[in-house]
Amino acid sequence: MSTLNNQPNDNGADTEHKISMADSITVNAADDSPARRILPEWLRPGMQPRRRGYVCIAAASARHALVTLTRRKRLLLATVIAFLPVLIPLALAFLSTSRFAESGNEVFVRLVQELHINVFAPLLALFFAGMLVAEDIEARTMPYILTRPVPRSAWVIGRFCAFMIIATAILASSAALTFAASSIHENLSLTSLTDLTLLAHYLAVMVMALLAYGGFAVFLGAFTKRPIVYGVILLYGWQGLATQIPGLVDFFTIKKYTDALMPIMATQRHVAEIQTALGTFQREVFQVSATRSIFALLLITGVSLCATIIAVSRREYAADRAAGG
Amino acid sequence: MTAIIQAHSLSKWFGEVVAVNNLDLVIEEKVIGLLGPNGAGKSTVIKLALGLYKPSRGEIRVFGERPRNNLEVLRRIGYCPETDNFFENATGFEFVYYLNLYWGMSTRQARAAAEHACELTRMTARMHDPIETYSKGMRQRIKIAQALSTCPELLFLDEPMNGLDPRGRDEMYALIQSLADAGMTVIVSSHILYEIERITDSVALIFKGSLLAQGRVRDIRNLIDAHPHAIRVETDAPRETAATFVSFPAVTAIDFDEKGFVMRTRDANLCYDTLNDMMVRGDNRIRAIECADDSLQSVFDYLTR
Repeated sequence: MSTLNNQPNDNGADTEHKISMADSITVNAADDSPARRILPEWLRPGMQPRRRGYVCIAAASARHALVTLTRRKRLLLATVIAFLPVLIPLALAFLSTSRFAESGNEVFVRLVQELHINVFAPLLALFFAGMLVAEDIEARTMPYILTRPVPRSAWVIGRFCAFMIIATAILASSAALTFAASSIHENLSLTSLTDLTLLAHYLAVMVMALLAYGGFAVFLGAFTKRPIVYGVILLYGWQGLATQIPGLVDFFTIKKYTDALMPIMATQRHVAEIQTALGTFQREVFQVSATRSIFALLLITGVSLCATIIAVSRREYAADRAAGG
Repeated sequence: MTAIIQAHSLSKWFGEVVAVNNLDLVIEEKVIGLLGPNGAGKSTVIKLALGLYKPSRGEIRVFGERPRNNLEVLRRIGYCPETDNFFENATGFEFVYYLNLYWGMSTRQARAAAEHACELTRMTARMHDPIETYSKGMRQRIKIAQALSTCPELLFLDEPMNGLDPRGRDEMYALIQSLADAGMTVIVSSHILYEIERITDSVALIFKGSLLAQGRVRDIRNLIDAHPHAIRVETDAPRETAATFVSFPAVTAIDFDEKGFVMRTRDANLCYDTLNDMMVRGDNRIRAIECADDSLQSVFDYLTR
């Protein structure tokens, strides 16, 4: 005997039903028409359960996406790749033949900036945030979801939250382990408050980077059929180019604002110059304050998600339209 | 009676392809069949009613409201699509369960409703298996389970008999009748008149995106009976199986091919019933029965002349 306890329905009736297999037996019909079945109580008119609110539906979207993600081999592969930087400080400690000791601080900063924030954050965004939206459209399962009373924004935000949970967990744990591994070198200590603050600072920048890259990737997933291809072109090709060429085009990149949030200012990190056949050009770097960078990253995230919600609401899910019918 | 669905001058085109053309339709019946050949626009009409498509011209109202992005209308609707698309790596139970969560049920309600829907569609034994291991008929049943699990007032079934064996079809006919008896409105699309006939006497004929006729099935049947009906039977023993039908006066021709035979008959119901009985009695030689038929097409041609 199984039970179904319904919440009070729209008519205010508080109902509790018990059904059994016997409730759905087939009854013989005397005429040609098919035999009728006695329907269980839960399928009778007015027995529809009460709907829960926006947050619960967004949570359902996130939960579904999390379960889907955790079952993918792609997640395991991404985790393995994201944890590779942990090996580098260890390799430097045990395999390096350098006569001078490596600075743990420098090793950690270089790895977390160049790999975690500038390479892995966009990569995870493209492979998870972008595909979470694109794959439902591609797999043609959208009609099931969109014929449920699901606010489109709840679906998008749920998917985005799932990406943030997974990506933050992977990158933050990898960065923390990289920090621990780097501490075997000089100038970095697991017990130093200054060094732990540095780690916390980078973790915060990482979250901001994931927000902006994730929002942008979700947008690509909703608007293009090949979000990964366009994403690689834009986030690696365009960003790499825009941060090198003279002028202000780097303001149209996410990297500009994540760089501005790093503990060390961009001008101190490297000399921005471009070498051509005609000579080497020094590039003037226009700084953006941390507050404005945070605002810019949140704006990129917000605009991307809003555009995605509008696209999902307006789009016609007609993947099978060519089949007619 | 209040119209459950009302379409007025409804048109939908995709580029240069006109899928629905100036359709006027009022549905008041508890069960109605949308009948038309493949590509007639039945699924497009259903998707317009579900709000998945936006009308190019005209309007469609469900429960008196425009359905597109209308959560209050969607709350009252269930939909079983024609295509076999499911969530990646999901079991049948999970598929229904997550859709219930999307609907807005609590975890406990979603679980109970998914279990009950699987029980109703006789999927309990296999509901925790991955969908990719399901047969076509089981996939069809799990799609129907997800449509029913939210206890909708209006149910759209797009070609629900696809992939079901004769026994499954009989169960489906019975279920649809029972749902209608219990007060649910059911809209079934099919390109096979026989299927619609088993469920309801009300039918809307759709052809080339337009409503050709709406009314009782028997009137359509009378038209169809004037045309031979072709049924393809795939069997391991074509001559033995065909022998049963040779004595039927309504059977006008039997043509054998590599996989079985195609018979032409003026009484399709009798032949389908006989084939059904043979399979239910355990005739394992019959592998498939198919409406190889252009009789419906010929009726449409006749009506449009």
